[in-house]
Amino acid sequence: MLIIAGRRSPNSQSSLNTAGRNLGFTLALLSSIAGCLLSLTILLSGAPLHVELGQTPLFGSLILHVDGLSALFLGIISLLAVSVSVYSLGYTKDLSPRHAVGTLLFLYNGFLLSMVGVVIAGHAVVFLFAWEVMSLTTYFLISYEHEEPAARRAAWLYVVMTHIGTAFLLVMFVTLHTYTGSFSFDAFKDSGSHMPALVRSLVFLCATVGFGIKAGIIPFHIWLPEAHPAAPSNVSALMSGVMIKTGIYGMVRVFFDFLGPDIPAWWGVLILVVAVSSSVLGVLYALMEHDLKRLLAYHSIENIGIILMGIGAALLFTALGSKPLAAIALIAGLYHVLNHAIFKGLLFLGAGSVLHATHSRNIEDLGGLVRKMPWTSFFFLIGAVAISALPPLNGFVSEWLTFQALLLGFQISDLTVKIAVPLTVALLALTGALAAACFVKAFGITFLGLPRSVHAQTAHESSPTMIAAMGLLSLLCVVFGVAPGLVVSVLDPLAASLLGANISGQIALNGGMLAIPQSTSTSIAPAVLAGFLVAITLVPISIGFVFGGKLRKRAAMTWGCGLEKLEPRMQYTATGFSKPIRMIFSNIYRATHEIEISEVSSPYFQPEVRYELKTESVFLTYLYEPVSRVVLKSARMMRRLQTGHLQSYLAYIFITLVILLLFAR
Amino acid sequence: MNQIVTTIATSLAHLVLVLAIAPLVTGVVRKTKARFQNRRGASVLQPYFDLAKLFTKEVVVSSVASWLFQATPYLVFGSMLVIALLVPTVITPVPLHWVGDIITVIYLFALGRFFIALAGLDTGSAFGGLGSSREMSIASIVEPAMMLAIFTASVTAGSTNLSIVVERLSASPLAMMNPAHLLAFAGLFIVMIAETGRIPVDNPATHLELTMIHEAMILEYSGRYLALIEWASQIKLVVFLALLSNMFFPVGMAATWSPWALTVGVGAFCLKVTVLAVIVAVIESMNAKLRLFRVPELLMVAFILSLLALILYFIIGA
Amino acid sequence: MSPTHIQSIGLLIDICAAAILVTAFLIVSSRNLGFYIRLFALQSIFLGLVALLVVIGYGEMHILIAAVLTIVVKAVAIPIVLTKMIDRIQVQKEVGFSINITVSLLLCGGMVIVADSVAQSILAVQEGGGSAVSRVLSVSIALMLIGLFIMTTRKKALTQIIGLLTMENGVFLSGLSITYGMPLIVEVGIFFDILIAVLILGVFVFRINKTFESINIDALRSLRH
Repeated sequence: MLIIAGRRSPNSQSSLNTAGRNLGFTLALLSSIAGCLLSLTILLSGAPLHVELGQTPLFGSLILHVDGLSALFLGIISLLAVSVSVYSLGYTKDLSPRHAVGTLLFLYNGFLLSMVGVVIAGHAVVFLFAWEVMSLTTYFLISYEHEEPAARRAAWLYVVMTHIGTAFLLVMFVTLHTYTGSFSFDAFKDSGSHMPALVRSLVFLCATVGFGIKAGIIPFHIWLPEAHPAAPSNVSALMSGVMIKTGIYGMVRVFFDFLGPDIPAWWGVLILVVAVSSSVLGVLYALMEHDLKRLLAYHSIENIGIILMGIGAALLFTALGSKPLAAIALIAGLYHVLNHAIFKGLLFLGAGSVLHATHSRNIEDLGGLVRKMPWTSFFFLIGAVAISALPPLNGFVSEWLTFQALLLGFQISDLTVKIAVPLTVALLALTGALAAACFVKAFGITFLGLPRSVHAQTAHESSPTMIAAMGLLSLLCVVFGVAPGLVVSVLDPLAASLLGANISGQIALNGGMLAIPQSTSTSIAPAVLAGFLVAITLVPISIGFVFGGKLRKRAAMTWGCGLEKLEPRMQYTATGFSKPIRMIFSNIYRATHEIEISEVSSPYFQPEVRYELKTESVFLTYLYEPVSRVVLKSARMMRRLQTGHLQSYLAYIFITLVILLLFAR
Repeated sequence: MNQIVTTIATSLAHLVLVLAIAPLVTGVVRKTKARFQNRRGASVLQPYFDLAKLFTKEVVVSSVASWLFQATPYLVFGSMLVIALLVPTVITPVPLHWVGDIITVIYLFALGRFFIALAGLDTGSAFGGLGSSREMSIASIVEPAMMLAIFTASVTAGSTNLSIVVERLSASPLAMMNPAHLLAFAGLFIVMIAETGRIPVDNPATHLELTMIHEAMILEYSGRYLALIEWASQIKLVVFLALLSNMFFPVGMAATWSPWALTVGVGAFCLKVTVLAVIVAVIESMNAKLRLFRVPELLMVAFILSLLALILYFIIGA
Repeated sequence: MSPTHIQSIGLLIDICAAAILVTAFLIVSSRNLGFYIRLFALQSIFLGLVALLVVIGYGEMHILIAAVLTIVVKAVAIPIVLTKMIDRIQVQKEVGFSINITVSLLLCGGMVIVADSVAQSILAVQEGGGSAVSRVLSVSIALMLIGLFIMTTRKKALTQIIGLLTMENGVFLSGLSITYGMPLIVEVGIFFDILIAVLILGVFVFRINKTFESINIDALRSLRH
């Protein structure tokens, strides 16, 4: 209860702004550290924490229940909150006086509290309450810079989408209540076996849609690329890192805990289809973005897809009776949840530093920041390497586990599985390679080369707290990549308890090595690999020394085909970089471009060419607009009920009264 | 303790072998291409002389470039060496087989490619950006084809550990002629051509910047750095050829440490790699470089070949 | 015949069937008309090889004549006729598509899956045959589907002929796989039918070229009114 007490901060607008700000974020920091410790104790000891908050007449006693799964997500939230709180100390220093820092603090702490509430809730009402508070605080945080119309639109879109999701969650909880007679999660556990198959599938679909909207799966993702860039960067890091993971938490809780082990196979296939389309489309759209934060937001969609691949595979394998394989898939998915929170948080903090220093999010305006912001660029590079799943960092380990889980699926003799698995493997490989391409573009154009505008030329390094926060997250990227055994040994019993299977095959052989027991001698040892990578660079250094003597270097201008001065505008642009991919996948993008050349007398000297490239947002045009048209049309038809005459309203009341009387007889 | 010493010693010996052979294989490819063009061509040892010359030359570094530019050659060379340690060439099982499997190898290649692409953008030249952009685009469509071909090979062996795949296959010679293997081999061959930058995907000998892919990224490198990167691409070719020959036709590999087995192993390795190098050179000479946007079609053929192997022999057959 | 002998013959048949399917896919992926004809010749050679292997392995002598006929007619004669036709018409060697190569390759891959399930259901009725027979049958059905696909989506009139001939290859192969060959009369009859069909189609292509100055079948639409 230490956590909850520590998360309140006064909404102060006093002139002691700096002190208040520092106090607020430090309190958040301390309580996050407490949260980390709590989750570690629960995960390692295996004993869940159960707290009753009090009795209510309608809903029974309100419960907080922290078991393994909740502790894992609590740990992830707290870990990221520690870094973001440290970061915020430096980041919010120069917030313009128009924006009240006190409001930000209040909303920030409220946001953290509500996320914690969501994962530790043991009762449907507590869960929904925390969920709603989370949605509201993020709404206010997104519209923090409310003078920007883009921020207002993003916040409105977000609040509409999230409430649609909440509606589905309400339906789901009410259905669960109808069949178990209680609202507490304990009663929901394994309740799937009591329900008829149709109702079970209804609960499944409501959970998928409701939690999926929060997680940002395709086709419910349209709020993500608008909302995450609009919020202040420290909040974006939290939103992208952990808020969308609460959707995953909900899915895992409902699918595995509530609906029990007896599930049909088509659920797994549906989740796999959703996962694959989210990851491929997410990364493809990310490649076309030149707003740094929008790019990162689309990558969150992609990584949610990868997480769902693990979860979908786990569902499919459970349905077909293969519990150990399902456990490996679930471990892969949960590991990726942890990893994504860490490296996405790191990347968003980096983007925030860039925004803070250059006041521009458009990477086409940046460049050469590696010299102006050396530490920020180094940590951003680590985040980019991690998200591209390159060894020996953490992204590689979780993607490796996902691949292995999928490859193992081929041992099951079901035909659907045998067709789904190779396709998923191929598409996962495609996503990984496209993500690497996107981050070469993002890091290369933003940080390398020459500055493309005044914004980039006048950049400065971020403040020490911001660098420290990013450094902490980078360290975690390395640690979770090099010592995967630590994480897996914690996830192993968790998966076992969720799936009801006894995973006797130890996956983590020791701290630094992972082996898959079902697949002969398949193992990786990232620690040794990292050691080798570092040690083996001695070889080229010594070879160079032996064959060439001391290194003689000379600085010169970059080769420009004989031109004397290279302009920054002669460099490659981000649009140009992604053009080959746009052409290869042109069927998916359906980009349109128009070129306008201003009229002059001579065709040889054209002062102005305007080039506009638009990628059509398929979902907006073909899915949401027709739906919203239908909704608006039916709403307009309903308006006829509002005649404005007092008498017609009285007549409505009278008719309703009569009907109710007839029914109540 | 003894185990660690033998592991280190054998790994070092292995590295020396791969390092020594790599330029020779490139020499063989170039000589064969020259013969096809009715020229006598440079000697097969020419790449050694080229590397030696480059090492002694002064390094010119662009004033725009950052620390990344200077760190990349070492990183790329280092990652190639680590891959060479994981791929079975002469002996199976490789002493370090537990460190990484085939997926690790694929992602180590991706690591090298990531940093070279960044180095291309680091100098602020348009050519570097051109090379990086094309390289990453082609790599993104090569990966699914490669993954599917590897998948087919590893399904038979029931593992993704390279040494296990090689061992299982060498135990049953008849399985080598299984059409699934032949189809996957054909798919992986096309992938190899794309990954190592050979005609018809990329021309390793071109001097026209607009036709370059790999060469454009390393345009600004000179001296020792260029030598390391060139050597790293030569090692990449050898490693890929070793992968192709040993994952699909693991004949004559040493299973023990006896001198006789080792000699046979080295001889078989050299023979297989030479044969494949000549085939690569023949294919290079018989084809023209494809337009950039025709390359996805070629890679789709590779993808389909592996998919056919899976469908015909594992989904339906087994 | 010893069991290992049968096994190695089976393996060789397997390899040839896979090669036939690969040539069909390579036809789908080419842009050059000359390649179409050469790949088709290669396909017929492999088909003849399969027939010869069946003769050697199972001793059905009457297939020998069909095998020789396949190689002579389809691998040699028809390609020569078609190449001569191309030279006479001096047509442009580029083939136009209504579906681009990447998507058509993926669709043909899907067709192989469909062919496999059809083959499974056919063979489930008869209990005989191991997985080798089912594979050759699925290759033959896939060949028929791919031949039809080639006819539908390629725009040069000559490609229609290649597509039709690919379908016929598929029919022959399916006959080989299930019943170890059809009666000789049927085989010879089919061959003569094909020969006449090619000659008539050749005449048609010639006339089309004379009327429209191209053999792009989109031009045929102007015949409508």
